[in-house]
Amino acid sequence: MTIRNALRDHGQRYRPRMACLKKAEKVLLEMQDPCTGVKSQPQRLVITIIPHAITGEDIIAWLADRFQIDTEEARSFGSMLVALGYIYPLQDHKRLVIKPDASLYRFQTPYFWPTQQWPVEDTDYAIYLAKRNIRKKGILELHEQEQYNHLHKWMNHKWDFIVMQAKEQYRAAKERKKPDRVVFDCQERAYWVVHRPPPGTVSAMDYGLHRRTDPNADETQTPDYYERIMIFTQQSIMRPRVKSSVSIGALVKYCATYSGHDPFLSKCLPSNPWLTDDTTFWTLNMHNVEIPTKMRVERWTFSFKELLSDPRGRDDFRLFLKKEFSGENLAFWEGCEDLKWGTAVTMREKAEQIYKTFLARGAPRWINIDGKTMEITVKGLKHPHRYVLDAAQTHIYMLMKKDSYGRYLKSPVFKETLKKAICPEEHKFNEVQLEQNARNRRPSLSPIIIRQQEQEQRAKMAANAPVDITQLCRFTTPVPHLAVYSGIPDPPSVTASPLFPFLAHTPVCPSPISVALDSTSASERQLETSEGEGNMEARAPDGGNLSKSRMALSLRRLLKRGCSPSAMFASLSPKCHTAAATSSRIQPIMPDEPSHGPPRRIGNFFQIKVDIPPECRIYPIESEDEDEENRPASRDRVGTEEIICPWESLSRQNGTG
Amino acid sequence: MSRWRHSVDELTAGRQRYQKECERAQNALSRVTSCFQQLVASLGSSADSSYLREEIDQTRALAHRICSGLSHRLLRLLSACDSAPIAVEDRQASERLWVLFLSVVENFLCDLQKAKDLIGQFPLTQSSNRCSLVNTGCTDGLVGVAARVALVQIPWLVLEEEPSPNLTDHIAGLESLLSELQQRVPVAFWSVEATQPAWAEVLSDPDDPDDSLEDIMEVEVVSNSRSRNNVSACCQRKCCRLSCVG
Repeated sequence: MTIRNALRDHGQRYRPRMACLKKAEKVLLEMQDPCTGVKSQPQRLVITIIPHAITGEDIIAWLADRFQIDTEEARSFGSMLVALGYIYPLQDHKRLVIKPDASLYRFQTPYFWPTQQWPVEDTDYAIYLAKRNIRKKGILELHEQEQYNHLHKWMNHKWDFIVMQAKEQYRAAKERKKPDRVVFDCQERAYWVVHRPPPGTVSAMDYGLHRRTDPNADETQTPDYYERIMIFTQQSIMRPRVKSSVSIGALVKYCATYSGHDPFLSKCLPSNPWLTDDTTFWTLNMHNVEIPTKMRVERWTFSFKELLSDPRGRDDFRLFLKKEFSGENLAFWEGCEDLKWGTAVTMREKAEQIYKTFLARGAPRWINIDGKTMEITVKGLKHPHRYVLDAAQTHIYMLMKKDSYGRYLKSPVFKETLKKAICPEEHKFNEVQLEQNARNRRPSLSPIIIRQQEQEQRAKMAANAPVDITQLCRFTTPVPHLAVYSGIPDPPSVTASPLFPFLAHTPVCPSPISVALDSTSASERQLETSEGEGNMEARAPDGGNLSKSRMALSLRRLLKRGCSPSAMFASLSPKCHTAAATSSRIQPIMPDEPSHGPPRRIGNFFQIKVDIPPECRIYPIESEDEDEENRPASRDRVGTEEIICPWESLSRQNGTG
Repeated sequence: MSRWRHSVDELTAGRQRYQKECERAQNALSRVTSCFQQLVASLGSSADSSYLREEIDQTRALAHRICSGLSHRLLRLLSACDSAPIAVEDRQASERLWVLFLSVVENFLCDLQKAKDLIGQFPLTQSSNRCSLVNTGCTDGLVGVAARVALVQIPWLVLEEEPSPNLTDHIAGLESLLSELQQRVPVAFWSVEATQPAWAEVLSDPDDPDDSLEDIMEVEVVSNSRSRNNVSACCQRKCCRLSCVG
């Protein structure tokens, strides 16, 4: 048995939601057949007798018999017919349900049937309300009064017509005999209960967006129709295939995991607000609740996506990351989300902010992504768009998922949360309490207010942004007067010299080697820097690019020693990308920037990532020293001091200078 | 000068007479369309019969005559507005009439379309078709309504009897009439305001004890059902005006 893809659905999702109407009509015509339909009886009123009334229990019995279904299902089917407006109750006319007792119903006349091609007009409703006004001397229900005032305002230009028509219809109806008049009034009233339901009731007529084409109509076979079929089948062929065992297995797994959490399928603690009108469930599961429920916490263990998409879970995770000093990952991820989903106006600014905070060299909350991604991101940031940080975001997401998430689930933070999580008692409401709940329904907070609250909270969090321990180094404070990223077009110097890109060899991200070597004591570093400086002064008379010259110097030294850089690197680090090919492609945002060099952080030792950025390499191009020396002298004291050449320290350690 | 003024006065008087005539026609059209609605509401129900269908056709024909006459006259009235000097109130009255006419025609068109669909769905050509008519409780032949229609008078003489169109043509004709009228005369319908305030119709029609109709319904509910809630118990008194009658 195959799953048929109905030919109409050329990816356009017709959603024939009102196809049931035609079927209901057929059933209704069967039902009212005098021979084989539902037994009808006369309704006895004080003044007259009106025929063709049917009882609820008869309807249910007939439906159960006709379709060979059990009583419960027949009852819900009958209620559907009432809710759609094909049968209307004579007593309690506002509740559109079938009661399985002797309460009376009647068939609705076809003029008032809810079929698709006759839209329900507001003009008609206005006329109806005016008629009701005339009859009941102005006593209308509250929602009717509101509607009346609303329509009076919006249809003011045809209001004279409406009133005149109402009067005329009223008088025309009086011409009929009394029983028929009663029937017609009931019919009309029932029609408007279905199509303009009082507030707080669920209407069966809700069907989402209004489609322009009738899903039940046959489509004409125009060339366009065939074209759409062709496009659809082409796309179907191109789609990648998955074995059904795999896809079905995934579905089964999903169902098994989530079935306990689905309020449709299993009990919802304390009670389902849609059923009992009690909103405890929602208040217990709000975004910023202190103590989450057990079900919620269990959900976080299903997947990383669940954890992140639940605001409370994200808070918990953030707390954990703070303790692990890797909060910048989550903050970066959230910043990227903000960029993706934010308004276009703020995009540029946000991208700039994110770069300054997370990606730039020397950024306060620097994230560690691999060089290729960094390269793509930085290049894209010149012309920022909504998805410019996608690659970096994915990398960080995967990082958190593979690494931090697992640790989080085993962490004391999570265990604590799990222990404190509450499991609410189930509500047991009786009928009276249910009615009371229904009466006390109140609308929730306006979404505008909720959005304002969220924004305030975000601002507060940004103001008290946690200072990651990784940035507790004076070297990593961002330097304001250096334009880290200004988003201005490429400075001409970049294009001027093709060798300039090489300047980026001061790595955009700290080389792990240098990081590793940071574990050497600060005193040694100081020693190095002072020595380096001393050397510098000796060798670089123009006092220009000290850091560069130092590196180049050590380069020369290394080369003199005949030690191949790659070999050295290989000995130092697990993975080593070979070099120079990628180097030339690296373009700094501001070429005179790199004097910042790789920021030194003590804490980073614990965060050595696997990939070595391709920039952290020795570029054995001696000719470039001249370039460096010619570089503009926007030097920075801080920058000079912190450049520590891994090779330099190594060479020192190795003894020979 | 006085001759000119005299002719202007004559024109104005003529115009106002013309306008009154159109207003009466508008009322008549309203009456006919509301009767038409009553008739069409019984289509497909147990009150449906060939007599009903004939009445519907006749009512439709009458409405057609009034519509075409009224559309011509209103067109003349409003185009004359542009040529001769017209007082602002006159022009506003004409525009109001125009908007009301268009509204009536739109409303009538809806009813016509419903009638067409219903007649198509419930043909009465064979006697077996009567079984498919929905038993709605209505049994009347709507004689009274038909009589009301017959009493409607067109306020001008219809000299030639042009044949009334069948239902489909009628619908098509009205649709084209609507679009044509809206294009030919540029009246800003939002500038028309209602003459009476909201809730004014409440004070009209003091001549019938008609709220008893719903009391009747409710009273029977109380005596009929076994375990009804006592909300409707208070409806037994006719003077009760509470909204619990629904």
